[in-house]
Amino acid sequence: MAEDIPPQDRPDGARGSALDVLMSFLKIGGSAFGGSTQAMVFREVVDRRQWMSEQQFLVGQAIAQVLPGANPVNLALYMGLKVAGGLGAAAAVFGMVIPAFCIIMAMGFAYSELSSLPVTSFVLHGVAAAGVGATISQGLKTTRKLPKRASTIIVGLGVFVAIGLLRWPMIPVVIVAVPLSIVWAYLDQRRAA
Amino acid sequence: MDNKLLGLFIVFTPLSLLSFGGGQAIVADIQYQTVSVHGYLSNAQFADLFAVSRAAPGPSTLIAALIGYQVAGFWGAIVACLGIYVPSSLLVYGIASWWQKHKTSPVKIAVERGLAPVAVGLIFAGALAVVRAALANEPNTIIVALELVTLAICCSIFYFSKIGSYTVVFTTGGLFFLIHLLAF
Repeated sequence: MAEDIPPQDRPDGARGSALDVLMSFLKIGGSAFGGSTQAMVFREVVDRRQWMSEQQFLVGQAIAQVLPGANPVNLALYMGLKVAGGLGAAAAVFGMVIPAFCIIMAMGFAYSELSSLPVTSFVLHGVAAAGVGATISQGLKTTRKLPKRASTIIVGLGVFVAIGLLRWPMIPVVIVAVPLSIVWAYLDQRRAA
Repeated sequence: MDNKLLGLFIVFTPLSLLSFGGGQAIVADIQYQTVSVHGYLSNAQFADLFAVSRAAPGPSTLIAALIGYQVAGFWGAIVACLGIYVPSSLLVYGIASWWQKHKTSPVKIAVERGLAPVAVGLIFAGALAVVRAALANEPNTIIVALELVTLAICCSIFYFSKIGSYTVVFTTGGLFFLIHLLAF
C-alpha cells in the first residue's frame, strides 16, 4: 500500500501540506471539548480551509464512527490522509492527541482542587453549550446538501429517533441502518439510470 | 520492559480494536482490568480519573493516559496511549487509504450516499445527548435558559460566519466565568 495518494487521484478540493494539517488539528485538539470535536473538524476542514465538500466529509465521518478507535482520532486520520497523504494522517493524529494529552495530564493534577469550585462546572456547561451549537450548525449544513429523497429522509430521521430520542444503543442501530441505507441508495441509483 | 509498563500495554492494546464508538464502549472493561484483575487502582481512583477524562477536551479514550500516569508515571501514560491508539489507527489507515484510492464505481457511490444520512442522524442524536446530560441535573431555570440561549447564539455564529471554533469556545468559557463572578 502506497504511503501517499498522488494528487491527481484525490477528489477535487483536497489539497494542503502536512504542516497545514498539523496546525489545523493542533488548534482543534486543544479546544474541542466532549462531543463537539467532529463539528470543530468540520468547521476547519470544510468551512474554513475548504479541503473537501460536505459530502466527502460525511464519508470520512461515517468511516471514523463505524471502525473501532476514538472518533476524533479516526476522523483526524481520515482527513489528514485525504488532504496530505500518509504524512498528513500522522500530522493530524499527532495534532489531535498532543494538546488534549497535555491538558488532561495538567487537569489530572488540578482536578482535586478545581472540582470543588462551583465555577468549574459552570464554565464547562457554557463550553458544552457552545460545542452543541457547533454540532447543530454542522448538522444543518450537511442536511442542506443531502439529496432530497425519501430514502435519505427516512434513514436520517430513523437514526436520530432511534439513538437520540429512544436512546437505543448506537452499535446495533448503525449495524442495521448502514447496509439498509446503502442498498436503498443503490436501488435508487439503478432506478434513476 | 518494566512489568507495569508491559501490563498497561497488554490491557490497552486489545481494547483498542474493541473501542467501537470510542471510549464509552470500553470503559467498563478498563475498569474491570485495572481495578479487579491487575489491582492498579482502587474503585474510587478509577471514578475520579473517569470524571477528569470527561471534563477534558479531546477523545474520551485519553482516560488511558491518566491511568497510565497513575500506575507507572510519564512512561506509563505514553505506553497506555500508544496501546489504545496505534492498533485502531493502523486499521483505519488501511481501510481509509484503500477507500480513497479506489476508483469510483456504482457500488462506491451507493456506499457514500448510503452512509451520509446515517452520519447526519448521528450528528443530531449526539447533540441531543449532550444537551440532555448537561441539563439533566440543573434545577435553576435561569441557568437552563442561559445555556439554551448560548447554544442558539453559538449555533447561529457557526452557521452564518467563518469565525474559528476555538475563538467561540474560549470566548464562551470566559464569558461564563465573568457571569459566575458577577452573578453568584
